[in-house]
Amino acid sequence: MKPFAYARPRALTDALRLAQAGATAMAGGTDLLGLMKDGIVSPERIVDLRDVEALRGWTRAKGKGIRIGALETLAELEASPELAKLLPIVGEALRPAATLQLRMMGTVGGNLLQENRCWYFRDEAYPCWLKGGIRCFAVDGDNRLHAVLGADVCVAVAPSDLAPALIACDATVTLASARGTRTLPLSDLYRVPQGRARRMHGIIPGELITEVRVPENALARRGAFEKAMERKTWSFALVSVAVSVKLIGGVARDARIVLGGVAAVPWRARAAEKLLESRALDEAACQAAADAALDAAEPLKDNGYKVPLARELVRRTLRRLA
Amino acid sequence: MSIRVVKTQSEFEGEISEEIALVQGKDLKAWGAAADLSIVGKRHPRIDGIARVTGRAMYTQDLYLPGMLHVRLLRSPYPRAQVQRIDASRALALPGVRAVLHRFNAPKAPFRGEDTIFREEVRFVGDEVAAVAADREETAAEAVRLIDVDYEVLPFVVDLEEAMDEGAPRIEANGNVSESGKYERGDVTRAFASANTVVEQTYRTSTQLHNSLETHGAVATWDGDELVVHESTQHVFGVRAGLQNALKIPFSSIRVICDYMGGGFGSKGGAGKYTIIAALFARQLGAPVRCILTRDEENVAAGNRSATVQKIRIAAARKRIVAIEHLSWSNSGQGKWVANPPGPTNGLYDIPNVRTRSYRVVTNMGFLASFRAPGYVEGTFALDQSIDELALRIGLDPLELRRKHAGRMTDPQTGKRYSLKRLAQCYDIGATEIGWQHRRPEGLRGSAPHRRRGYGMASQLWGGSGLPPAYATVHLNPDGTVVVRSGTQDIGTGTRTVLAQVVAEELGVTLKDVRVEIGDTNDQYAPISAGSLTVASLTPAVRLAAADARSQLLDVAAGLLEVRASELRVQGGSVISHGRRTPLGEILKQVDNYTVVGKGSRFPNPEDVSLKTFGAHFVQLEVDVRTGEVFVEHVVAVHDIGRVVNPLLAASQVEGGVIQGLGFVLSEERVVDRPTGRVVNGNLEGYKVPTVRDVPKITVRFIDDPDTKANNVGAKGLGEPPIIPLPAAVANAVANAIGVRVRTAPITRARVLEALALRR
Repeated sequence: MKPFAYARPRALTDALRLAQAGATAMAGGTDLLGLMKDGIVSPERIVDLRDVEALRGWTRAKGKGIRIGALETLAELEASPELAKLLPIVGEALRPAATLQLRMMGTVGGNLLQENRCWYFRDEAYPCWLKGGIRCFAVDGDNRLHAVLGADVCVAVAPSDLAPALIACDATVTLASARGTRTLPLSDLYRVPQGRARRMHGIIPGELITEVRVPENALARRGAFEKAMERKTWSFALVSVAVSVKLIGGVARDARIVLGGVAAVPWRARAAEKLLESRALDEAACQAAADAALDAAEPLKDNGYKVPLARELVRRTLRRLA
Repeated sequence: MSIRVVKTQSEFEGEISEEIALVQGKDLKAWGAAADLSIVGKRHPRIDGIARVTGRAMYTQDLYLPGMLHVRLLRSPYPRAQVQRIDASRALALPGVRAVLHRFNAPKAPFRGEDTIFREEVRFVGDEVAAVAADREETAAEAVRLIDVDYEVLPFVVDLEEAMDEGAPRIEANGNVSESGKYERGDVTRAFASANTVVEQTYRTSTQLHNSLETHGAVATWDGDELVVHESTQHVFGVRAGLQNALKIPFSSIRVICDYMGGGFGSKGGAGKYTIIAALFARQLGAPVRCILTRDEENVAAGNRSATVQKIRIAAARKRIVAIEHLSWSNSGQGKWVANPPGPTNGLYDIPNVRTRSYRVVTNMGFLASFRAPGYVEGTFALDQSIDELALRIGLDPLELRRKHAGRMTDPQTGKRYSLKRLAQCYDIGATEIGWQHRRPEGLRGSAPHRRRGYGMASQLWGGSGLPPAYATVHLNPDGTVVVRSGTQDIGTGTRTVLAQVVAEELGVTLKDVRVEIGDTNDQYAPISAGSLTVASLTPAVRLAAADARSQLLDVAAGLLEVRASELRVQGGSVISHGRRTPLGEILKQVDNYTVVGKGSRFPNPEDVSLKTFGAHFVQLEVDVRTGEVFVEHVVAVHDIGRVVNPLLAASQVEGGVIQGLGFVLSEERVVDRPTGRVVNGNLEGYKVPTVRDVPKITVRFIDDPDTKANNVGAKGLGEPPIIPLPAAVANAVANAIGVRVRTAPITRARVLEALALRR
């Protein structure tokens, strides 16, 4: 690890000023420190956000949905009985994530912006394309954990469990910088890296996530989350699936199906969502949606299993809503 | 007492060898099943448990000495390359860097049959190229990046089956494949020709990484001409021998200490390159030197359980197994030896016609090292699955088929009678505890939609007899407290506690009065803590030492109390004479600082019997046929290991073995990028050891019948047995549940789904 300058402001404006000046933001540090130790990133300046109280906590304003501060820890969210009532899918997504120790440190903002877990990306020895190098090493290497949908040059997958769950709830994210703030759908934060944009997030240098909002009407939806791992806990998703629908008169409206672990971004299965419109969530409809969700899958040499696995998790999560 | 030289046959990790042992005096009669024991055989928590959990126990990694320097290693980025030039000038220019060692400047230091620790031709990614000593670890790490090396990259092969191919690059002059084990009995060819049913299958196991909690490492200090090395090791005397061989200094100048250690599982059997490097730097720089591997280094350059591919042909006639052929190839990487996966096939079941071959395959990967029952875990995974496959074909319950071949009391390999064999009883207990009667050949419906339930079992054969030489002394302090000393080490199994129990029992004192000092080459020799041999080797020696101390004590007491020694006995820390109790302390303080020192040595094993341990694991699990997930619900582990000295510690040993076996069969797999030869998951995130959530209900049962022919305590080893049958039992249960067999470990979701898809 290289030496770095370190600042720990209390005021958001100070944090934004430091970020604007090129400092790398650190919240829980559960991902950043690992990347630094492994030589994947070497920031010269770090702005530690832990004392920025304004970014903590979550609130609900009647009619205005839920606002979650970017520094809220995953453990706090997961443990909140009020949130479990309002938005149970968040707890469902967090409980199998990482370990309790990591969830105590990890924050919402950090979780949404964490780097991917591709073992070629994470090994300094590989000058992989995403790190500005020559090519993707996973394509002809061991790609059992990699993408089956929508990949371009890079076949790494989106690692967050929280992101699919929040996207299924139509969450928006607010980004602030010294120049101002902007709010966009959370799904738009994520990009399939391509061309010169060798990044999986669309955040601009100097910007910080300040909050995530879930709109009021999303609270009326029913949601479900499922995750497949290589062991029972402390494992990134092989595949995760978050779904939510409005159930009106026994039929589904406006379904959301979002997959993690299968593509560079949390993957909206829009064709499958459309199939469910105005249909009861019976076995045939759920299976048809599950098939459609994976219709475009192009597995690599070692990850063919992800296709039936993802298909089944889509079917299961949908059936749970019926 | 005069010394006698005896020749004895010893078994270590499945290999039988002739040994010389020196013994003194007479052995004690073994404690029989009816012996009235008050401390041995009872559940006692670890006597060092509080020290361990409060952080007072000192591990090698805890040692920070004043002025200590830190070492980081430059490791080869290539699987095979010629090191042509090394320029360390940029590293040496970094403030805080004290020295750099590499093949062009390091003193000659023979290591494991090679004359240097820094090879001219590096042969795996992670092979040591250079070492840096610096004031701070971070400085050393940075300096490593500043060493310039010219490599000439050479053709390489990392995969087992690729290396077996005729067209693969030859890594060794006489080819990549060599025969390493061969066994034959009966007439296999004829038996196969006349059999009714033959099943032939190929099984594969993946490379498993030890992942001891404490990584490999040493701290070396020269004090005048004495080298003191603290090392996390299973064998302080082995480390001493490695240092003596590398540095050519007398044994009297070397002291190796291992007070506490965080596991080894077979991989810490002697000095490592890190040991020699720490010692060389310490001598050169005149300061203590710490060289501890990182987790990533641990997982490329500190040993592994080699991947195997195994072909088994098994034949039945008249509902009995008549022949078996077991061929096995192991990826030894850069290891100099290979375990023998067909070991259980040779000796476990009474099958008349057996042919086995074991081959070592060299590749450009890190070396294999002993790993808890090396070979036997992999071999049983194949053997006990082939038995289930045959049972299914001939329409027999797989347990019934095993019973037909498990009852004989004669070792099929040697023709000798077993000293004790309770395998059939293990089957009975295991079948009852798991509810084997619920098993159906076609499996059962599970507890949720798309889940199937299955039952499986497998058998365990291992040595565990222990062996000489092993020595111990028992010292009585003037206050009646006791110190046991032996150059053994506790790799986490509870050695201190077990030795203290045996000494307290024999001497007649309470457990809290006994202190056990181990892990120091200044004490008497004890063998490597491996091969399930510590309890069976050491407890008979400490018992003799305690008996010797007691006899001396009684002589002293008899003189002081003016009675005959034969009228005295020791009980509860007091000498008892005609009903009168005199605490030991009162007697010993009268003789000033006279120290009673009892000596004990391990007697050889009997030659006329076969000493083995047996066991069986039974598993109940469910498999989700849509997601490939395996849910292990219940494991019943039954072991026949002679006397159980401490049921609490023994059960914890079995639980550990079961959990490590679950890792082997369900989630642990070293992943290597073939184009570059790099391990891509050499860390605790990517390499999946089981977590507490992966642990099912585990029922542990022991036969607990003392093996009075084995040694004076009647105990045999338990370190390795509990990992051996678990993977095969799980594989058999999975096959029973889903009706299709996954013949490759680990049985991941991918492999389950693939096997199910192929059936459709």
